[in-house]
Amino acid sequence: MGSVVEINPFTRVEGHGSVKVYLDGARVERVELCLSESPRLFEALLLGKTYAEVPEIICRICSLCSTVHKVTALLAVENAFGTEVSEVTALSRELIVNGGLIQDHALHLYCLLLPDLLGVRGVAELALKAPELLKTGLAIKRVGNLIQEVIGGRLIHPVNICLGGLGQRIGKEQLLRLRAELEAVRPECREAYRLFRTPFPFPQLPAPNCLALEPASQPLSASRFRMTDGGTFQVRDYRVHIQENVLPHSHAKYARVLGAEATVGALARLNLGARLNATAEDVFRCVKGEILGRDMRGNNVAQAVELCQAAERALELINRLVEIGREGAGNQKVAPRSGRGSAACEAPRGVLIHSYAFDAAGICTEADVITPTSLNQGALARDLLALARGMEGEETSQMTTALERLIRCYDPCISCSVHLLHL
Amino acid sequence: MIKPKLAIAGLTACSGCQLTLLNCEEEFPEIAHRFDLVSFPMGESGSDPDAVFDAAIVEGAVSTPADLENLFQLRNASRLLVALGTCALFGGVAAMNNLTAPRRELVRRVYGVSGDGIESFPPAPFGNFVSVDFTITGCPPEKHDILALLAALLAGTLPPTQSYPVCTECRSRENLCLLLERNELCLGPIIQGGCNARCPATGIVCEGCRGPVREANVAQELELLLERDFDRKEIERRMSRFMPEWDYGQRR
Repeated sequence: MGSVVEINPFTRVEGHGSVKVYLDGARVERVELCLSESPRLFEALLLGKTYAEVPEIICRICSLCSTVHKVTALLAVENAFGTEVSEVTALSRELIVNGGLIQDHALHLYCLLLPDLLGVRGVAELALKAPELLKTGLAIKRVGNLIQEVIGGRLIHPVNICLGGLGQRIGKEQLLRLRAELEAVRPECREAYRLFRTPFPFPQLPAPNCLALEPASQPLSASRFRMTDGGTFQVRDYRVHIQENVLPHSHAKYARVLGAEATVGALARLNLGARLNATAEDVFRCVKGEILGRDMRGNNVAQAVELCQAAERALELINRLVEIGREGAGNQKVAPRSGRGSAACEAPRGVLIHSYAFDAAGICTEADVITPTSLNQGALARDLLALARGMEGEETSQMTTALERLIRCYDPCISCSVHLLHL
Repeated sequence: MIKPKLAIAGLTACSGCQLTLLNCEEEFPEIAHRFDLVSFPMGESGSDPDAVFDAAIVEGAVSTPADLENLFQLRNASRLLVALGTCALFGGVAAMNNLTAPRRELVRRVYGVSGDGIESFPPAPFGNFVSVDFTITGCPPEKHDILALLAALLAGTLPPTQSYPVCTECRSRENLCLLLERNELCLGPIIQGGCNARCPATGIVCEGCRGPVREANVAQELELLLERDFDRKEIERRMSRFMPEWDYGQRR
């Protein structure tokens, strides 16, 4: 007889979603992943708006990653108009993106995932049962946020980073304050991996086909993607290589990259050879075996490695900005022209692509955003099915615990993507 | 100590208002001790579907039948309902084209004809459907407004409401006036303050993310901007970014 096991709603993730496992006796027939966030239709809202409005509006697509959405939108608009920004601007943007990553990974690891490892309901219960661990996580998160607030002018939906430059340049005193705050949590960032390498006691999952930007000397100007199986393509040609498919009988739309279900995020980046500084490299060496060539269960420890990398990189960037001092400032004037621009960044959860077309007056005529969670959706659904099949015959509660745990491995950010997928 | 029971939830939104609560890193452990976070899907698993609350603090606009069902459920289960953030108060960014394009057309532009099956209506604020006991504005809201609300709830009351425009704080910070001195399209005069003029302080115009201040002189703002050669269409587009339905008074 058929039955359905349902997880609704997802908890301890961003946004609204649910999953249904259809059973025939003990046999898993299929799994239905439903990212049920209400559509906000950003791509349609941007049409008819001026180029200057686009980054301010689109960053509202998601709060957890509003900074990287804003930066990617700025890069895409500047790409359309051929604008080159100053070194100070580029460094400041990279710094705020690293701040965003620190806040985001710390939030996910210490507030949303840690309850799984300690067997508590959530972040509030953590505050009662494991106050010191939570405080450590919040201290790291706070520094990430401080970077975002100082550089961006506010914590969420930053305003101070804008087309062609910065609203206000960040003074030396503020940079030194950020440096001191970062130094204070540096040891915790370095040691974070110890907590999150706790083994994940569930069946093995399919091998991911990783997708990430090719590391570039200027991380925000990477122009090529690469995949585990050796495929590579230019950011500007993304539409040719990433197909969004509509499945019959549903509103399902999911992305295939070079014909495969791609996996993006921390695990993908580290598998594809992300550049690490010496400290992060040391950390990575300790946990390599849990990340390289492994399935998505290695993603959380990969995030911990990145937490260390981001903190170290932020320190380097601050030092460079202090060194530059008052030289090399200056905002570029942005002159609209007819054309199209695309840009891709590594958001905390993986590859993020923005692409816009403008007419000669700078009015947006086309807008396209591909988010990490929509890229990961196919792989998540595939892994949920594999995990459910691997646990056939186990107690329902064990299966749902495992499925929820897997969902949090992916760290989905559902606001950005609203698609329904049947398997 | 009796801990007030809270529900923290989101409808159609970016989760930024709930994130603002989690961004209170220094205060959060204390909040967790003093309140019972009975339902907070973003941060807690396993909540009781029949729970009742002293206060439900909810972000987002209402744009689907499921949103409406959630809103009614929270309203019925809670003594107080707090509309958290600009979407909950005014519709927010998702509502910006409510008056200029039919919903069906917007859905089709993103999803094609396969979007016709998506149940969605123009994003609307809570006040269109239920009574709201307290509001916190902002996209995102300010941390201190959320903390003030929580502190007041502990004392069995609600915080005083503010009503002054962004310009009040902007002037007291002695920022350059972007509207009068740089002829930029700044909405400060008609927008609710309380943000300490964050954006003008960095040299960026007020984009209006906190919605209208009480008794805003909208017609006069429009006049000021028209005098500075801004196009009426552009002004209205900018003003509707966070709230589509403005009353332009005598400049209708």
